[in-house]
Amino acid sequence: VVVTIDVAEDTTQRQLVLTRVIDAPRRLVFKAWTEPEQVARWWGPQGFTTTFCDMDIRPGGKFRFCMRSPSGTNHWKRGVYREIVAPERIVFTFAWEDAAGNPGHELLTTVMLTEHGTKTKLTLHQALFETVEGCDDHRGGWTSCLERFANYMTTE
Amino acid sequence: MVQRRMTPDRLNRTFAALADPTRRAILARLASGDASVTELAEPFAMSLPGISKHLKVLERAGLIVRGREAQWRPCRLEPRPLKGAADWLEHYRRFWEESFDRLEGYLKDLQGKGRQRGRNN
Repeated sequence: VVVTIDVAEDTTQRQLVLTRVIDAPRRLVFKAWTEPEQVARWWGPQGFTTTFCDMDIRPGGKFRFCMRSPSGTNHWKRGVYREIVAPERIVFTFAWEDAAGNPGHELLTTVMLTEHGTKTKLTLHQALFETVEGCDDHRGGWTSCLERFANYMTTE
Repeated sequence: MVQRRMTPDRLNRTFAALADPTRRAILARLASGDASVTELAEPFAMSLPGISKHLKVLERAGLIVRGREAQWRPCRLEPRPLKGAADWLEHYRRFWEESFDRLEGYLKDLQGKGRQRGRNN
């Protein structure tokens, strides 16, 4: 299992890209992403449980989840599905809510499933900006920049 | 767990400020020490007002601070927002990686059960 983090040289938006090959046929992986009772089984980091999961799976449909952390704190997130193309593509917006229930920075998220022999390659793109105005220049990668400064911070 | 330390506005400003090669180069230069506007302008074929415009963007994003001296207003890197943005990305990476681990485990179980029951998944 290989996970990579990279910034695609996309001409329209900066994206966070994660790739994972999953040992299951594509139709099962797609169902695991689109059926609420299945999503609740795996969504969230280790130790978290999904205590609320409302998904209106269709373009324009909304979703809202609540994750409970191991220490018992609830984290709400919500979004809107933009594209549902079985069994290969799911596009949705994604934002965490603050304590007052207001959504924070919104990310456009694309999940792509491609057949990889008997397995499925899952590629997750997360665009950091919904609008081009949020990102006024599209050359060069900022991730390497951030990494560089993160290193700078820790070695300082 | 995620992005609690940074407001969306702050994050947007940080990423927008970083989305320009000249501004990233300025930050990289400041990582090795404070510098004046003239010093910062040297490596670029750009006028001082041009550089000043970039410095204003960086200053508004809180990525640099400028000295108070009237004659020589050195620019200094302020790494806190960068650390915040890096942490935020790291949270997201971890969120998805751990979710994928669980998805993989869940699908493994599902298929195991399916096979035992004669592939009726």
